[in-house]
Amino acid sequence: MTKPVQAINRYKADLRDMFFLLFEQFKLGELLGKGPFEAWGEEEVRTSVTEGYRFVREVLGPLNVVGDIEGCKIENGRVITPTGFKDAWEKLFAAGWKTMSISPEFGGAGSPFSVQIMLEELMSGANAAFNMYPGLAYGAAEVVAHFGTPEQKKIYVERMFGGKWGGTMCLTEPHAGSDVGSAKTSARKNVDGSYSIKGTKIYISGGDHDLAENVVHLVLARVDGAPAGTKGLTLFIVPRLRHDENGVLGKVNDVAVTALEHKMGINGSATCVLTFGDNDDCIGYPVGGDAKVNQGMPQMFVMMNAARISVGVQGLSVASAAYLNALEYAKERKQGASMTHWKDPTAPRVPIIEHADVRRMLLDMKGKVEGIRALALKLTHHQDQVTFYKGTDDAKAAYNQGQVDLLVPLMKAYGSDQGFRVCETAIQTYGGAGYTRDYPVEQYCRDAKIFSIYEGTNHIQSMDLVGRKLGQAGGANFQAYMGDVQKFVAANSEHATLGAEVKRLGTAAEALSGSAMRLLMWFQSGNVSMVPLSANRFLEMMSELTVGWLLLEQAVIAETALKSVDPQHPDTAFYQGKVQSAIFFARNTLPGVAFKAELLAMEDKSPADISDAAFATV
Amino acid sequence: MKILVPLKRVADPDNANKVKVNAGKLVTTGLEWKPNPFDEYAVETALRLTENGTATKTRQGEVVVVTFGPKDSETTLRAMLGTGADRAIRVDTGDDQIDGDVVARALKALVEKEKPDLVLCGKQAVDGDSGQVGQQLAEYLGWPQATFAGSIESEGDKALLVGREVDGGTIKLRVELPAVVSVDLRIVAPKSVKSVHTPATHAYPEGVRFAALMAIMAAKKKPLAEVKLADLTSDAAPKIQYLDYELPPARKAGVKVKDVTELVTRLKTEAKVV
Ligand SMILES: Cc1cc2nc3c(=O)[nH]c(=O)nc-3n(C[C@H](O)[C@H](O)[C@H](O)COP(=O)(O)OP(=O)(O)OC[C@H]3O[C@@H](n4cnc5c(N)ncnc54)[C@H](O)[C@@H]3O)c2cc1C
Repeated sequence: MTKPVQAINRYKADLRDMFFLLFEQFKLGELLGKGPFEAWGEEEVRTSVTEGYRFVREVLGPLNVVGDIEGCKIENGRVITPTGFKDAWEKLFAAGWKTMSISPEFGGAGSPFSVQIMLEELMSGANAAFNMYPGLAYGAAEVVAHFGTPEQKKIYVERMFGGKWGGTMCLTEPHAGSDVGSAKTSARKNVDGSYSIKGTKIYISGGDHDLAENVVHLVLARVDGAPAGTKGLTLFIVPRLRHDENGVLGKVNDVAVTALEHKMGINGSATCVLTFGDNDDCIGYPVGGDAKVNQGMPQMFVMMNAARISVGVQGLSVASAAYLNALEYAKERKQGASMTHWKDPTAPRVPIIEHADVRRMLLDMKGKVEGIRALALKLTHHQDQVTFYKGTDDAKAAYNQGQVDLLVPLMKAYGSDQGFRVCETAIQTYGGAGYTRDYPVEQYCRDAKIFSIYEGTNHIQSMDLVGRKLGQAGGANFQAYMGDVQKFVAANSEHATLGAEVKRLGTAAEALSGSAMRLLMWFQSGNVSMVPLSANRFLEMMSELTVGWLLLEQAVIAETALKSVDPQHPDTAFYQGKVQSAIFFARNTLPGVAFKAELLAMEDKSPADISDAAFATV
Repeated sequence: MKILVPLKRVADPDNANKVKVNAGKLVTTGLEWKPNPFDEYAVETALRLTENGTATKTRQGEVVVVTFGPKDSETTLRAMLGTGADRAIRVDTGDDQIDGDVVARALKALVEKEKPDLVLCGKQAVDGDSGQVGQQLAEYLGWPQATFAGSIESEGDKALLVGREVDGGTIKLRVELPAVVSVDLRIVAPKSVKSVHTPATHAYPEGVRFAALMAIMAAKKKPLAEVKLADLTSDAAPKIQYLDYELPPARKAGVKVKDVTELVTRLKTEAKVV
């Protein structure tokens, strides 16, 4: 007999930092109450984040460990989600936290995207596995909202955004993972205009579940006779249950969940093997109708930004939860004496936060978490400005869109890579306790690993950055980005207290520019084999530069604020913490950018040179 | 039914360690504020009495929330409007120049103006723990009162059957409306409140409801009026003066006893409790 799992919340978040980012660093207030954000004021934003936080701690947080330990199972051909998930799903959609930034046209509240992303951090941090289900439904609904025919929009969009129906994204097949273009799932046109879908998809998140009355699959498949590769892929709407034109549900649609993966983490999220058309009775329709046959990849690309941002935020969210838990533990756990009388066995035992190396780990986590959160906000604030200026100031909208495109791979890859590392550091901070199930950090660490893999592995992200994004708009986006960094350096390199650190940022910026030139040269001189060997490193360098820049910008704001804040006020400690995060990052990470540029310039090809046999002779 | 709920914001009890005392006064800068939990239960009770629990979007009656405080205490009122209250009133005061008696007298004037059928309040505020506003208000109004309600059943909105928690059980009192009722923790259990609009079988989720996003957005458009304290009571001078504040002494480490005999001995000789 297994005993029932105790559902207790361990999640906590740093709302003060969220409000700092929204209102002090990125000045969201300037966009509120006007144009597309007419209905939103600062108070609505603050109340939403605060209430959303209360919601996730009371409803989603307690189920995090339940989902981890119970996992999902298949009964009678259907997936059963962990105890409490269905109730949480209903409460979540009743509360409206998933429909915040959706246009009122589809039943949403039209909030700035940056506010939605803060709610995403809360939901995902409280329960990353649970949040997969509504997350996938949201992504799929967005595709239909964007590209669907009017009839498709009417049937699907509001139902899926509102949680009545779930949704999935079915790309991966056993032989087609990163190489999406080799997908074999087929689609044959029927006389009535529908298509018969046949094939197997694997690793499909939320591929089936008992949370909503229907599940709508978006399936990449190849229409008979279509070209090979990504050019021949079409995105099909394949509902689990068929329905009439009013959405009244009918018979099942020959989509079967044939197995569940047993995984390292996010155990509450069902990762399914799906077979379509085993009985030749699986019907689908192209998203956007027949005119959109073979347009599957371009459609996916439009939605990819949002999905990749979400995955980066998953990394952030779990890392932040791990950091704040480790911090709490470090203040309580007593071990060893203070450095000053470490040899005296009678000296009082001190909380481990007093040990220098524990402080180093804590500050390292703090800087990364806050830096990645700043990156998420920088990016989504650009997105909000696209929404805000579109149609009234197209040049501004275009600049902001360019920055979104450029920063997305950074958010996805750096957010997920460092998110995992922060979780690992959190375990180290705890010591043995962190390795046990008595504390939440081991689960955070297991949950976080997947973020660097799905939604395009992080190497795919780095190739997107160096192969597509650097040269996008003739390189203008990257130049504008470098211009923004340099402007900050020029304005602040003589700052009374932070000048030296800002100069380090300047050095790192120059190094990154140099590396970008080198990449360009490799492309032009036919030395392309160097590109994939250096792409991950370049992405990391650019992410570190960006995070360093944003943290220093925060520190400058904090230094100014400190001059007027009441020393009794907790904001004093908050702002001091901001300055320390930035200094630590500037001294311990930024100098590495120039060093990595040197490594990149070395043009080391040893991974290419070594023969397969030489890796190991076993 | 029209219900008036007085509401107080209190320093977030989870952050109690941040409370500082300076020259005999509490330092309130940087405190995080929360609605007093018992007052939140009162708002939840008011909402349950004025709705059909299976279709909570329409309100069958009116819920008015009132607070006494400075401008920024309106955040607390807005939050309540977000959970479903219809209207809010802020009586403009500081956080600490009033006492329960001033509040009760001002509320009396407000009640005479608003004419609610019922005043629902929390049994006490968790900051000062005075626990007197409801009782004083009933006295000043000459209305029946029932305190520490753990259950309320509405009888045709003419009278309430109130289950009061007392030592060893529950006393049921019937109060005719208008009345003043103060509520205790158990009032927010799934079946503690029975309204005339909700099927008897309905069970609410435990606790107070969440503010839904759409309701938060709609709250901005709901009326929030400001009233001067002087317009409600000519005598706004508090009768209670706070002379000084002290933090409770830090708890001392416990001692381990060898066995039961020692425990009993020490309870007798040192603690003198047996
Ligand atoms: C828990 C979980 C949930 C998932 N959810 C979904 C989902 O909902 N929908 C969906 O469609 N898919 C989903 N996936 C699949 C996921 O997107 C893929 O696992 C991912 O894209 C990688 O594909 P792969 O596993 O086949 O690995 P492979 O593509 O085989 O990659 C293996 C390694 O080779 C590298 N590699 C591959 N190709 C190249 C190349 N051209 N150049 C350099 N390196 C390369 C990769 O970076 C990786 O390190 C999920 C996976 C998991 C584990």
